[in-house]
Amino acid sequence: MSAVDVRHVSVDIGDAQLVRDVTLNFAAGQWHTIVGPNGAGKTTLVETIAGVRRPTRGAVEVSGTSIHAATERLRAQTVAFVPQHPIVPAGMQVRDYVGLGRTAYRSLLRGPSTRDHEIVSEVLNRLDIERFADRDVATLSGGERQRMVLARALAQHTMVVVLDEPITGLDIRHQIDLLEVLRREVEECGLTVIATLHDLTLAAQFADRLVLLADGQVLAEGTPHDVLRTAELADSYGVTLQVVTVGGSDVVVPVTATRQGIVPTFS
Amino acid sequence: MQSSSTRSRILTVTALGFCALFGAMVVGLGVGPLPMSWGHIIGDVASHLGLGHSTLDSLQSTVLWQLRAPRLVLGLLAGAMLAVAGGTYQGVFRNPLADPYLLGVAAGAGLGATVAIVQIGDGLSTPAWTPWLAFAGALIAVSLTWAVGGRGTSASLVLAGVAISSLLTSAQTFVQQSSHSSIARVYIWLLGSLGGASWHSVWMTLPYVIVCIIICVAAAGALDVMSVGDVESRSLGLPVERVRLVVVAAASLGTAAVVSSVGLIGFVGIIVPHFVRLLVGSSYRHILPLSALIGATFLVLTDTVARTVVSPSELPLGVITALIGAPMFVLLLRARRESLS
Repeated sequence: MSAVDVRHVSVDIGDAQLVRDVTLNFAAGQWHTIVGPNGAGKTTLVETIAGVRRPTRGAVEVSGTSIHAATERLRAQTVAFVPQHPIVPAGMQVRDYVGLGRTAYRSLLRGPSTRDHEIVSEVLNRLDIERFADRDVATLSGGERQRMVLARALAQHTMVVVLDEPITGLDIRHQIDLLEVLRREVEECGLTVIATLHDLTLAAQFADRLVLLADGQVLAEGTPHDVLRTAELADSYGVTLQVVTVGGSDVVVPVTATRQGIVPTFS
Repeated sequence: MQSSSTRSRILTVTALGFCALFGAMVVGLGVGPLPMSWGHIIGDVASHLGLGHSTLDSLQSTVLWQLRAPRLVLGLLAGAMLAVAGGTYQGVFRNPLADPYLLGVAAGAGLGATVAIVQIGDGLSTPAWTPWLAFAGALIAVSLTWAVGGRGTSASLVLAGVAISSLLTSAQTFVQQSSHSSIARVYIWLLGSLGGASWHSVWMTLPYVIVCIIICVAAAGALDVMSVGDVESRSLGLPVERVRLVVVAAASLGTAAVVSSVGLIGFVGIIVPHFVRLLVGSSYRHILPLSALIGATFLVLTDTVARTVVSPSELPLGVITALIGAPMFVLLLRARRESLS
């Protein structure tokens, strides 16, 4: 079953066409990662899917809701969005920040309900960040901060979460930690994840499906195994890439002119 | 969703705020060229409620009820409104430098008042039309700002405010310079004063201030959401444009009503919300109601200083608010920084 339908979506800004006639179906309960070089249109596409950017042409339907025709409230109850550089307002406590995820469920005139409190506590617990729930968001490390932003998205209780480069700026341990949390949400809760990632190896290891985007167009779409082996992948990045298998996982290695011939081979 | 330490800090600040407000009211009513003891004032208030007899003579009673009481009430209203409007603007524009005059209220009111004083006045006194023209000028200025920048982002609205303010200030200067005999009165008006307070001006200001403060405080939860920016707020389900229109309209209308009655009183709207933020944290659910309380207290106290320190003359209120408020704010900022480090 399709959770998100993107139909002939184009996004123009001024004279530049950032996304060109993209049609994609994202199956429910799976992790879809959009990869591609800088300037491919990944951020523009996920912002359009999340409803924070309007397409110039085409339409996006999330869980049967026409996302750009919906009210802000309905949209936020349908799809949660984690931007590449979330604004983290200093002075706010982690618990309050995660509580912002409940905005679409409460009257603006009333404070958070008991149910909101329960959901926030449950999400903090699930992501193992309840121990710093009362800390100022400005005091968190990069890894803790990203978990907190993800917790806010999960507090929205949507079946689709869209993330733009969620592991930017994190060390490898925190990258893996965050991706494992997301993977668990997909497998245990049936969440549909649509994320952009630059790291092709991590994208291949965690996603069920990959979409290769370049110059605003979809060049390839399929399982990570298939997409990583398409000729379009190396062409779109303009480098030679070698895919090797380590412990059953695909690893993408760039082969530069100065290091030709020293790429190790694994069996 | 606050921790128990935050909750107890907020309760303490609120309790201290009410004590300070009560103290400011006592001082505001009792201090002046005609001194009155607190016991006499309470006795007179009680006599108006049918309890006992007043011990004030008729002159004291007139001074109390026709001069000091309306001045005190107008000060409470003006201080509360300016502080709430400043806090609201800081929240809606995510700009710590925002004050109630950001979108051109001051420039519009200044132009309206200057036109009234220079063009309509007789050269000897400030005409009765002044508040009305100031009010109209303030509302026209904010409407122009909204028409120019309201459909864009918060930043485009702020920039439109800067442009409209500059335009109207230059027009105000031009009108002001055309009549040398009125310059002093224009300056007095621009610097702000509660000296012209009357029950009439209280009743003219009260409904605007009450309604506008209620709207701003009711929108405090939305301002908390807006602290993550327009794009993220929208993705969280907040109708950002509608909220911005409502709170900017309320804060501007309330400010326009206050400015038309008391002139341009600077500093309160920018410093009081920051002062409160340092005490109780970043949630507008706490900042806005406490800003109303502390803004009202602050303005009554500074007005008492302004009208007594060089009595029988008065100092401009805006000068006193800055002179007292700035060092207080710096001291609190330093204390907070030391406690955090």
